[in-house]
Amino acid sequence: MSAAEPLLRVEDLRVDFPTEDGVVHAVDGITYEIYHGRTLGIVGESGSGKTVSSLTTLGLTRGQGARVSGRILFEGRDLVGLSEAEMRGIRGNDIAMVFQDPLSSLHPFFKVGAQLIEAVRAHQDVSKAKARARAVELLGLVGIPDPSRRVDQFPHEFSGGMRQRAMIAMALANEPKLLIADEPTTALDVTVQAQILALMEQLQRELGMAIVIITHDLGVVAELADDIAVMYAGRIVEAASAELLFSQPQHPYTWGLLKSIPTLEGSRTEPLVPISGAPPSLINPPSGCHFHPRCPYAQPEHARVDPRLEPVPGEPSHHVACLLEADVRRRLWAQLHAGRVPEEALAAVGVEEEPPR
Amino acid sequence: MSALVEVRDLVKHFPTSRGIVLRRNGGAVRAVDGVSFDIEQGETLGIVGETGCGKSTTARLVMRLLEASGGEVRFEGHDITRLKGGALKTVRREMQMIFQDPYSSLNPRKTIGSIIGEPFAIHGLNTGGGERRKAVQELMETVGLNPEHYNRYPHEFSGGQRQRVGVARALALKPKLLIADEPVSALDVSIQAQVLNLLRDLQSEFGLTVVFISHDLSVIRYMCDRIAVMRTGKIVELASNEALFRTPGDPYTRELLASVPGARRDRRTIIQ
Repeated sequence: MSAAEPLLRVEDLRVDFPTEDGVVHAVDGITYEIYHGRTLGIVGESGSGKTVSSLTTLGLTRGQGARVSGRILFEGRDLVGLSEAEMRGIRGNDIAMVFQDPLSSLHPFFKVGAQLIEAVRAHQDVSKAKARARAVELLGLVGIPDPSRRVDQFPHEFSGGMRQRAMIAMALANEPKLLIADEPTTALDVTVQAQILALMEQLQRELGMAIVIITHDLGVVAELADDIAVMYAGRIVEAASAELLFSQPQHPYTWGLLKSIPTLEGSRTEPLVPISGAPPSLINPPSGCHFHPRCPYAQPEHARVDPRLEPVPGEPSHHVACLLEADVRRRLWAQLHAGRVPEEALAAVGVEEEPPR
Repeated sequence: MSALVEVRDLVKHFPTSRGIVLRRNGGAVRAVDGVSFDIEQGETLGIVGETGCGKSTTARLVMRLLEASGGEVRFEGHDITRLKGGALKTVRREMQMIFQDPYSSLNPRKTIGSIIGEPFAIHGLNTGGGERRKAVQELMETVGLNPEHYNRYPHEFSGGQRQRVGVARALALKPKLLIADEPVSALDVSIQAQVLNLLRDLQSEFGLTVVFISHDLSVIRYMCDRIAVMRTGKIVELASNEALFRTPGDPYTRELLASVPGARRDRRTIIQ
């Protein structure tokens, strides 16, 4: 396979969950690509579909009655149609996942080593002794001190950060080509978080794997990701390289996220600009642009027309799903960036409200 | 400015026991281990630290939700550390708390109106039915809730709205001191700013004194005038906002600051 081919290509993926209250459109037609050795950050709030899309990649939503359509091409092979047995051959082997909560992802009754050995022997035909040696090696690799003693300890004897390291060790057991990390540091303290993020970067350099990191924290993706996809209500609303996304964000939701989070550098006297309203229902998502009820710049027609994810003029690698004119977006962001609130930005840019019909 | 609360050598030990059948006394977890600080009138004091550093325990000791093992807490000059009964109830009117989890801190069987009105019931205020309803609805308006939702239940509200209910309940008795323990950590990113701005606005409007507890340094920086950094039950640094973030004195503070994601922005120097 040539280097230009993506390792994973997700095409128009849709995941629906039928529930008593109606069909939940958890993922509503998303497309993205990940290349060898690169890191993709998927950013979104709870209910944006970021976790469901990744669980689906691993075939982990099948048991929950999910209806999946679209294609998930891993090295050119579509994972959507694979049998459960074929999927088991890929999961934990070519594609591995690190979950948010390390305490509930490790089995409390079994020693950490036994769980690592199981992960190794699930995919490799090796003796227990060899698998155990590999387990010790893996614990050492993720920076757990004294791994030959630690391997015989139970999860409760590990601290939160060490448990997450053990989870990463387990994910790395079979040298996956793709590591999916779902909020890998959310449950951890900030100093431990910094260590885990540094560890992931280092392991990526050494092992050359691709990483998908799913998070609600823009700081984490700023540090780790090469490319970023912003998800809202089951869709990707903006996708770009990390540099472009932070220097020239295009979507009003991305602006909202950037302006509503306090930073260590921003002005303290400048109030945060919250995004009004609350995340929408995925059973009856808003008509037109899903973000329009919360968007300060929405025009009446935005409630009717559904924007597609399209390249930004002049920046073919930067995609956005927004109905505002590119030039208007650029001027709005310039205003916001200078510290204006959305109403002031609107007035300065002079977007005329269409008379309501 | 004068101190509303003075905390001196505050200590809280939780005894640990060993063995399942034969319980023996083990050592003690020194959750708060000799902490002294003042909370000035009208300021926002931040307490920042990692899991288990004792920041929530300190707040609960100040509120008298826990009994101190040693030291004292003075509120408006009076030692409240050993108050009991009616005297304690009177002091408690003056200090209120907002909790982290807006889902478990509201009784799901009660309406929003009765939750916010509960402090009135406890302290026998606004006893007339119409009077209490009016007071509650005014509070709901203050925190940005629709007063018409008086008879709704917590499950009908989103996380951010529930946290507003928690804020309204805390403000009901017009307390002098408000302690907010991780008030936004359980909320979605786009909602956090709504609650942070609400707390800032209310503080300037009512001249509240606030203790703001968080593990998030960016939030602490935005909200607080002075900041105490805690580690293993002790305050390692107490400084003004500006001093702490410009010239952090303690090595642990520097480590915390360097750990904030996006702070080591060697690869990307562009956010804002």
